[in-house]
Amino acid sequence: MHILNESGAVSARTSVGTRRYIAQRFVQTIIVWFMIITLNFIIFRVMPGDPRQALLGEGIPPELRQAIVERFGLDKSLIEQYFIYLVNLFQGDMGYSFSHFGEPVWKTIFDFRFANTFILMGASMAAAIIIGIVVGVIAAARRDTLIDTGSTVTFLVAYAMPVFWIGLLMLMFFGFQLGIIPLAGTITRGYVHVNFLDYWRDYLWHMTGPWIVLTLSFIGGFYLIMRDSVLDVFTQDYILAARAKGLKERTILFGHAMRNAMLPMVSVVAVNLPYLISGAMITEFVFSWSGLGLLTYHSVLSVDYPVLQGIFLFLASITVFANFLADVLYLYLDPRIRY
Amino acid sequence: MAVLEVENLKTYYYLGKESVKAVDGVSFKIEAKETLGLAGESGCGKTTTAYSIMRLLPENGRIVQGTIRLGDEEITALSEEEIRYLRWRKASIIFQYAMNAFNPVLRIGAQIVEVIREKEGVSKEEARATVSDLFDEVGLEPKRQRDYPHEFSGGMLQRAIIAQSLACDPMLVIADEPVTALDVIVQNKILDLLRKLQEKYELAVLFITHDLSVVAENCHNVGIMYAGNLVEVGSAKAVFKHNLHPYTSKLIGAFPSVIGEKKRLQFIPGTPPNLLNPPAGCRFHPRCPYAQDICKEKEPMYREIKQGHYAKCHFAGELSFEVIE
Ligand SMILES: Nc1ncnc2c1ncn2[C@@H]1O[C@H](COP(=O)(O)OP(=O)(O)OP(=O)(O)O)[C@@H](O)[C@H]1O
Ligand code: SF4
Ligand SMILES: [Mg+2]
Repeated sequence: MHILNESGAVSARTSVGTRRYIAQRFVQTIIVWFMIITLNFIIFRVMPGDPRQALLGEGIPPELRQAIVERFGLDKSLIEQYFIYLVNLFQGDMGYSFSHFGEPVWKTIFDFRFANTFILMGASMAAAIIIGIVVGVIAAARRDTLIDTGSTVTFLVAYAMPVFWIGLLMLMFFGFQLGIIPLAGTITRGYVHVNFLDYWRDYLWHMTGPWIVLTLSFIGGFYLIMRDSVLDVFTQDYILAARAKGLKERTILFGHAMRNAMLPMVSVVAVNLPYLISGAMITEFVFSWSGLGLLTYHSVLSVDYPVLQGIFLFLASITVFANFLADVLYLYLDPRIRY
Repeated sequence: MAVLEVENLKTYYYLGKESVKAVDGVSFKIEAKETLGLAGESGCGKTTTAYSIMRLLPENGRIVQGTIRLGDEEITALSEEEIRYLRWRKASIIFQYAMNAFNPVLRIGAQIVEVIREKEGVSKEEARATVSDLFDEVGLEPKRQRDYPHEFSGGMLQRAIIAQSLACDPMLVIADEPVTALDVIVQNKILDLLRKLQEKYELAVLFITHDLSVVAENCHNVGIMYAGNLVEVGSAKAVFKHNLHPYTSKLIGAFPSVIGEKKRLQFIPGTPPNLLNPPAGCRFHPRCPYAQDICKEKEPMYREIKQGHYAKCHFAGELSFEVIE
């Protein structure tokens, strides 16, 4: 809380209260994160099936089995294993993949798959947020006209359709029948790229399909929140005041209404991140886009627990820290919020 | 030539098939350097009159009849784009709830700069300099331009709002209950400021309030509204001392001018009529102690009884009320 002084001034932007609030939120975040790390450990210990089985397969000599069990500390108590897990984790060691020729999980996740997912998701979210915001503002301003109803129906349909269904339709029509988008992968197999630019052209061309599908599936949510939020802002006195000032409609919409209406968006994005990621995973699977989603799918099939553990931990961490960032961002977007 | 001339204005709100006759045949004018105080009970149509002049009515509100001349333009028929051009250049408005008139996420200075740049096409620096001058004029430190609205106290916000209302050199400023939300001491300071600026910039001011003591001290002329009608208009002195309309007399009677508890309008029996279906004849007749049969059937004319002193009552000038001083 701030207190108005004699001249009504509060210079709260960098006030002690604000800093303390951020520190508190950060500590909370770390605690939650720690709980996730722990949960992540427990889940994979109580899962059915003995990972040793998956790792070793049938017909392995008992001595070799024993050696491996000892090497990975699988004969130790759960508590001991937990501490080993923690120590390793903080050294950046998430264990070794069962299925990718025993490569470190770290490498399996971050070598190129994370980048692929990040680029696809980033591009789709950027497009969906921009389109959702702009069309949402316009639809709210032209409430109950064809533009409004038309975009609401279109985006709702896209939002309601399962991602894999749109994906498959897309592949069948544009990929298979028209042949204008590739059927799978991130780059053309066997094709030797002449230079860096050529590589990117190929990459982006492969991304068209999943990008469109993912963007379509994301827009609906952003659009609806934005439209609603703008309609709410329109009832505020400062919008009437802006109209009284004879500002251009464009200025009122994008200079005043949009700014205020965008505030709820920040937390919506952060809170819905896991949902958005799961959409991306399904899309990756449909288009064989080699990212974390496809990796998850393959890891489940091959019971690759270390990789799954790594992916879950990573995604949960992103979500937790994204929420923390959203809270901090709010402080700077909305000057009224001060602690 | 009058800065503002409103002729037989009728503004209705539509609710389905029914209409709320919020302003029903109102005429008045304001000259430069002149303040017209518009007073009346809550819901009598004061804000609707103001919004009609700014052409800021909500979607269901419409000017159904009458003319509004602002300077040399008749504005009721202008297109939205034409009226947008005139807003703030010719007339500005200070809203009833000033605290909410600034966008909370934008700096106050930026919001004034915005309208100056839009209207005058000047550079950001020039506009900022203008804002500094304006802030100085209304008693704010120019460096406070960079503050956000929530960093201002109520009185400071009202000063900033006043600065903003003058930003594009208007002929007319409409002040809709500019001080209602402030405590008495701040109220007086703001009223003094408004008066000073009005003289300096030779503004025409439409001052809306339901507090008659504020009208008496701040306005040259007074208009009294009742249920969508302007029932009496005249110089402040004439209206307060020699009022012609029974409602005016009752309204003034409800405001003891001596210091004491304000007993707002408690002495007028009955309530204002429902404007969806106002009474026939004189709208005040159900509450008027002087009502005759004619009052129930025939709507009184709004006429000039004495030089510059108008009233809308069949018996205006014939009745004698106890004069309250
Ligand atoms: N959008 C609307 N739709 C229908 N009726 C409305 C609308 N806005 C106002 N009214 C009605 O019109 C009448 C006049 O309202 P107005 O706001 O002009 O009164 P006012 O004199 O400014 O009152 P106050 O002193 O409370 O501000 C009231 O009866 C009100 O209920
Ligand atoms: S016209 Fe009749 S009812 Fe109306 S104010 Fe005059 S005396 Fe009263
Ligand atoms: Mg009002």
